[in-house]
Amino acid sequence: MNIHKRSLFLTAIIMVLGLLLTVVSPQAASAKTKDGKYIIGTDVTFAPFEYQDTDGNYVGIDMDLLKAIAEDQGFEYEVKPLGFSASLQALETNQVDGMIAGMSINDERKATFDFSEPYFESGVVMAIGESDDSIKSYEDLAGKTVAVKTGTTGSAFAETLQKDINFKINTFEDSANMYEDVQAGNSDAAFEDYPVMAYALKNDRLKLKTPLDPEPGDKYGFAVNKDTNPELLEMFDAGLINVRANGKYQEILDTYIGEDAVSAASNVGFFGLIKENSSELLKGLGRTLLLTFVAFVIAAIVGLILGLFSASPNKALNIMASLYVDLFRGIPLIVLAFFIYFSIPQLLDLRLSATVAGIITLSLNTAAYIAELVRGGIQAVDSGQLEAARSLGLPYNVAMRKIVLPQAIKIMIPSFINQFVITLKDTSILSVIGIVELTQTGKIIISRTFSSGNMWLVVALMYLIVITILTKISNYLERRLNND
Amino acid sequence: MTKLKVENLKKSFGSLEVLKDLNVEIQEGEVVCIIGPSGSGKSTFLRCLNQLEDISGGKVIIDNNNLSDHSKNINKIRENIGMVFQHFNLFPHLTVLENITLAPKELKDQKEADIKKRALELLETVGLSEKANDYPNSLSGGQKQRVAIARALAMQPEIMLFDEPTSALDPEMVGDVLEVMQLLARQGMTMVVVTHEMGFAKEVADRVIFMDAGYIVEEGTPEEIFNNPTNERTKDFLNKILV
Repeated sequence: MNIHKRSLFLTAIIMVLGLLLTVVSPQAASAKTKDGKYIIGTDVTFAPFEYQDTDGNYVGIDMDLLKAIAEDQGFEYEVKPLGFSASLQALETNQVDGMIAGMSINDERKATFDFSEPYFESGVVMAIGESDDSIKSYEDLAGKTVAVKTGTTGSAFAETLQKDINFKINTFEDSANMYEDVQAGNSDAAFEDYPVMAYALKNDRLKLKTPLDPEPGDKYGFAVNKDTNPELLEMFDAGLINVRANGKYQEILDTYIGEDAVSAASNVGFFGLIKENSSELLKGLGRTLLLTFVAFVIAAIVGLILGLFSASPNKALNIMASLYVDLFRGIPLIVLAFFIYFSIPQLLDLRLSATVAGIITLSLNTAAYIAELVRGGIQAVDSGQLEAARSLGLPYNVAMRKIVLPQAIKIMIPSFINQFVITLKDTSILSVIGIVELTQTGKIIISRTFSSGNMWLVVALMYLIVITILTKISNYLERRLNND
Repeated sequence: MTKLKVENLKKSFGSLEVLKDLNVEIQEGEVVCIIGPSGSGKSTFLRCLNQLEDISGGKVIIDNNNLSDHSKNINKIRENIGMVFQHFNLFPHLTVLENITLAPKELKDQKEADIKKRALELLETVGLSEKANDYPNSLSGGQKQRVAIARALAMQPEIMLFDEPTSALDPEMVGDVLEVMQLLARQGMTMVVVTHEMGFAKEVADRVIFMDAGYIVEEGTPEEIFNNPTNERTKDFLNKILV
């Protein structure tokens, strides 16, 4: 029996290692992509500085300026819209080479990053509901709630005000959510960079107003990690001087915040929203399904092996499996995603794409749950089955494969379907590391259209329909299998 | 010729000592019935003979192979020891025929057609030819146990272990199963049978072993054990069950 346990153990170890190696094919932690492009992090939603147009291209002051400077200086780059705070972390961990995201230059950030010359002067402005007459000065915020966006100057300004005025702060990850919160009446005011607010207010769907003048003073800069990619910073500065001199700079500003600038957001109803964004939404859904299927297949294999480990008579294998399960069931998915995307590359000096990091995250997490399902399934098979098989002289591996597993799998199928649905829904959490799956797609469209009410309804319906269809198909297959 | 030898066999589950220093020798072709009150260690003893239980001390030697010797392939030894369980343990996802042919197909170097032919012969022997393609769930308890016996015999073992083979059966099913076992005994199979069927033990066994509290209390021919038991505990047990 011992010889066979050992061979099972070895096979399993080799399989797990093989899997991990295929999944974690590390890219070198060089400053650039394979083809020499700089990777530039940016925000998902920060019109007019960066946002996705209806064709799915990233445009805005930052994007156009970066393009003009790159053309002027002759370097190539790739934009990663990770979100503001995720971009900051990515820059710090060398996941990206530079960052342009309407980022104010301040002392705190200068300690961690090197900044270009300022390319834009901004300031913070307060926005309140269109029909709200109760707030005429900052003092009127006393006892109210203020919405801010994580890590922004607006957020810092609100915290400064909070020292003298007693109000509550609600923190959001992107501007659209912050505006919606004020419109919905959950928050009374929002603090936002004034060009962003000015641009957003061109959209008449947004029922907000700015009762006070902007606070002057903030300067936006392009950033690289401290003492990293100095040549990129030099090129940015040199290019900025050139585009200012040749009028290109002013042209870009006029496009987005000039008198005649038009908001990209269009006013359409529920069906118009679907029609206008259908290809983007389907692409997001496709990515959600891809993440789910790939992660679930990997997790099913790893989970099956771990489940066999924990059901095996070998103590060492039991301990290995239970350590794995405890570890990955004990870490919230969102924390695991951040850890794998930001910490692992830093600790191991490698670079992971968000999609790979997302698949690893989801696989590791789902495998822990599947391992438990498999263990439960195997234990639900009468122990007499294994004994009868072994008493005939069948080795442990064969007895498991031919006798125990076929019965265990039948028991496990409903739990597997359930876990698949959970994994599919969990992909939405991966939007935090910038994967443009269905939820993130929804966020991006909202940032452009300010139509969160209808958009989240559309996204929710899409999840619901897909999950219902998949569940029905699985149930049908399960019934077919059980009738055989 | 000695087929099976047990020397100083000990078995504990944690701090509970279930088998205390057992010594038994069984000859080729011998039919040995083990009787005794429940909890006396009969089934555990039987399960130690094919190492379904790891033994805690002593030796189990089958055909000169020491079972606790790790250089011996226990699977190879088990092929030679058939076992029949109280609760049949048929494989529910396989047909009756597949239940019987699975192990020979995996382990024996024989043509599939020959294995199938032999399986059908065994089914005929146990009187269930017409059930070959049925699933175990459609069989009665007695039929299931007869299939289980056929399954064990398909590996052509030289020893058969029976662990209370009729205890889970309705009374009217018991006869069919005992009949098959009796047939096996007549064909010269070496058999170790843990049973409560005293009639079977009397009629078929060459030797009866009475176990109590982890010890072999008394052994002898059925005549000796059932008619002239010497030990008080044997007498007490037999009085209780043979009212």
